[in-house]
Amino acid sequence: MEKKFRLIKIISVISILSFFFVQSVLAHKVSTYAYREGDKIKGECYFVDGSPCKKSKVEVYNSRGEKVIETYTDDKGLYLFETPEKGELKIVIMAGESHRAEYKISALKDREKDKEKKELSKNSENTKVTFNKDELRLIVSEAVEKEMAGLREEISLLHKKMDKISLRDIIGGLGYIIGVWAIIMLIKKRKNAS
Amino acid sequence: MHISEGVLSAPTLIAGAVLTFIGIAIGLRNIGNDHIPKVAVLSSAFFVASLIHVPIGPSSAHLVLNGLVGMLLGWAAFPSIFISLLLQAVLFQFGGITTLGVNTFAMAMPAVICHYLFRKMFLRGKNLALLGGFLGGSLSLIIAALFIGIALVETDKSLFAVAGTVLAVHLPIALVEGVITAFVVVYLKKVKPEVLNWKKNSD
Repeated sequence: MEKKFRLIKIISVISILSFFFVQSVLAHKVSTYAYREGDKIKGECYFVDGSPCKKSKVEVYNSRGEKVIETYTDDKGLYLFETPEKGELKIVIMAGESHRAEYKISALKDREKDKEKKELSKNSENTKVTFNKDELRLIVSEAVEKEMAGLREEISLLHKKMDKISLRDIIGGLGYIIGVWAIIMLIKKRKNAS
Repeated sequence: MHISEGVLSAPTLIAGAVLTFIGIAIGLRNIGNDHIPKVAVLSSAFFVASLIHVPIGPSSAHLVLNGLVGMLLGWAAFPSIFISLLLQAVLFQFGGITTLGVNTFAMAMPAVICHYLFRKMFLRGKNLALLGGFLGGSLSLIIAALFIGIALVETDKSLFAVAGTVLAVHLPIALVEGVITAFVVVYLKKVKPEVLNWKKNSD
């Protein structure tokens, strides 16, 4: 009998410890990240353990709260849509089981200014220069875009990492639980004493 | 199992919050000072359980262990689960602060119901305790999934399909939790039988 108990104890201790070291100590939260690429918006939706949200509904709202576009993620959790909207966009994704992720893409203020500038310069007499400028802008933006691709991947990786639950949070949470109950115990004891 | 923020309608959220508040009040009154360590341990177990993933088909779900908490705590499951959910919402962004009421009620109430349905079985023989633990553990979760489903449909009829998935995904989890609860109950019965008799303790 004694031996049996010891075995059960050892097993339970190991299983409790394994909670902390198993890599899949991650849970069911959905997160999304998206970025602009011209008029296109590319995004990715994933569970915090890194697995993709497949075939989930993606809703896009503009700054006035109107729904602009509705689309679905693919098998890799990626989505892509095109919109002329330059203002702030809110992307809402409903992944099965009542999970919901939200991401805001900020407005394209700089672009609008650029446009104004463009119009101004077009109005000016020196059309040749503006044409060259436009060409230059195109070339530069193409080159930057290539450079940015790697950076964007890194940012989305970082986003994923930040969404992961760290061991620190888990242990901290357990500490809080013990603390809260200790306070409740203290209050109860005081009440009993008085 | 956690409903995220911004999914439910205000009346549903308020109803959940009020019911949870009542549950917590009853629970706190039921907890004797000697119980608090037990309640805290089960709070921690519930808190960690949600981090354990079980892949099911295309989706995946996590353990909940509300049944286990209910079997051992009765009404005290309310404050116990509430604190765990609060911390999960703050630290992991599971669920959310506004949905705390609904989530707590949906998970704690079935656990309390099952506690009163099955607790007498724990005091009998080993086989009955095993069966009671299994039924308590699994039924608590199935009813909890039903509650979550009702909360979703109550908000929006179009969420009916989502409610169905919630239930389907949690059926296998319910089996797993039934087995876990059954073994914990039988183990406690051997090692520390007085833990299973809540009423006796609080008097």
